[in-house]
Amino acid sequence: MKSKELVAMLQDFYLLSFRGLTGIFRRPFYLKDTIEQMDYAGAGSFLIILLVSLFIGMALSLQLSAELSRLGLKMYTGKVVGISIIREIGPVTAALVFAGRVGAGMASELGSMVLGHQVDSLRVFGVDPVKKLVTPRLLSSLLMLPALTIIGDAVSLLGAYYIAVYVSHQSGSVYWTSIRDVLIYENVVAGSVKPFIFGYLIASVSCFMGLTTRGGSVGLRQTTTRAVVFSIISIIISDFVLTRILLYLLGFSV
Amino acid sequence: MILFDRVSFSYGLCPILDGLSFSIGAQERVAVLGGSGEGKTTILKLIMGLIKPDSGAILVDGEDITIKCEAHLREVRMKFSLVFQEGALFDSLSVKENVAFCLREYTKMSEEEIDGRVRELLRVVGMEHALERMPDELSGGMHRRVAIARSLAAYDPLMFLYDEPTSGLDPISADMICRLILELAGGRRGLIMVTHKVSDALKVADRFMFLKAGRVLFDGDRERLVRSTLPEIRMFMRELECLSPAE
Ligand SMILES: Nc1ncnc2c1ncn2[C@@H]1O[C@H](COP(=O)(O)OP(=O)(O)O)[C@@H](O)[C@H]1O
Ligand SMILES: [Mg+2]
Repeated sequence: MKSKELVAMLQDFYLLSFRGLTGIFRRPFYLKDTIEQMDYAGAGSFLIILLVSLFIGMALSLQLSAELSRLGLKMYTGKVVGISIIREIGPVTAALVFAGRVGAGMASELGSMVLGHQVDSLRVFGVDPVKKLVTPRLLSSLLMLPALTIIGDAVSLLGAYYIAVYVSHQSGSVYWTSIRDVLIYENVVAGSVKPFIFGYLIASVSCFMGLTTRGGSVGLRQTTTRAVVFSIISIIISDFVLTRILLYLLGFSV
Repeated sequence: MILFDRVSFSYGLCPILDGLSFSIGAQERVAVLGGSGEGKTTILKLIMGLIKPDSGAILVDGEDITIKCEAHLREVRMKFSLVFQEGALFDSLSVKENVAFCLREYTKMSEEEIDGRVRELLRVVGMEHALERMPDELSGGMHRRVAIARSLAAYDPLMFLYDEPTSGLDPISADMICRLILELAGGRRGLIMVTHKVSDALKVADRFMFLKAGRVLFDGDRERLVRSTLPEIRMFMRELECLSPAE
């Protein structure tokens, strides 16, 4: 791809994600579409997030108990597990699952609407496709991913508790005390800012890819692949950047 | 009503229209003929402002639509009703919801009123039995008829644009759609029908434009079309000659 095209594409992307976002505050409001999207993105992803979070929490707890007990530091399991889940693993896992499930879904749906001239039909009827299609998806991701992340975090911590107490034979009260110590303002803020950003990135990347689909079924394949790949890349990179910024803002020294 | 002034358009490096100029009055019934890939669909998209030309001006009621932004194009688009080649129904919505789309978008009708209006529109196109079906359960001809009903729903267009409404249909459905198109225009509203079937064009239009290599090769009435000696047009007319060798 030529650099000029790349710049034009980036510009289109920023424009789309910006207009999609400001669409939340402009009439007309497509409440029904938004609710439908929230149902698909939120309720639909609930079980898979539950499952993934549970096993990640258990695996993490198992691994850390094993490692820490060799050092004689078993009682720190709760603290380490808590910090990693709330600040890093929880938000990133939920976002990755969301990108694979919801992002791919959005991109392929919009892509097939483009190919079937349905998006042009909307424009012919004087309906703004950004408002009608992008804004509800953006809004539903902005609301649903943080909610899913919180639920996922809780389930991960429960899974980790199960392993720590019933497999690694640690004290349950020590575990919950260290979790409570972890749930301080700084960690909670850091852990809950991320899913908003991730949700925004996933929805805008996926919608952009969907709306710029070209070239039949191969084009649709490319769209879906790109939506997931670029979502994942942007999640991982922005996670690093956000961690850096949040640590700085919240006054931690590295 | 529509004026193309030296309009050029290309997809990437591939030129489609090359300095195309014509004008169409508000009450004319025009058939745009041409082979596949000659840019017929492109012309309709240009009229609706869905794509912008590389150069040249497109005037609709004296206003240049090529310099308008998306928000202002809405008013222009409301003057037309465009039915896409494939129908382009919203495939996640039932036939009823497709036809009701614009009603929900632009009017504050109650559920009963919408239901009544949708049935009325579907009756016009002879599709009232398919109210609850999904677009992917419909045949090509049914698809187009629902699309026509949908395009009539909310507002009263000044001019109808049809993109190959009869291609790929059996002769009976095609004939029915032609009659429907004529009926809807009703003598006082104009229409542009893009097609590569001369027989259907003759049923509907009284002015014929023939597109070739991005330019208007021929522009005239029925008489002149039938008499034309241009080889490209003769090739198209051969379809008719098979039917009635006497002519
Ligand atoms: N989205 C597109 N990208 C690139 N080329 C296109 C696109 N759409 C149409 N074309 C090309 O433009 C030409 C004219 O297309 P079109 O107006 O659809 O022709 P038709 O007269 O059959 O309706 C064709 O040669 C086609 O290959
Ligand atoms: Mg075409």
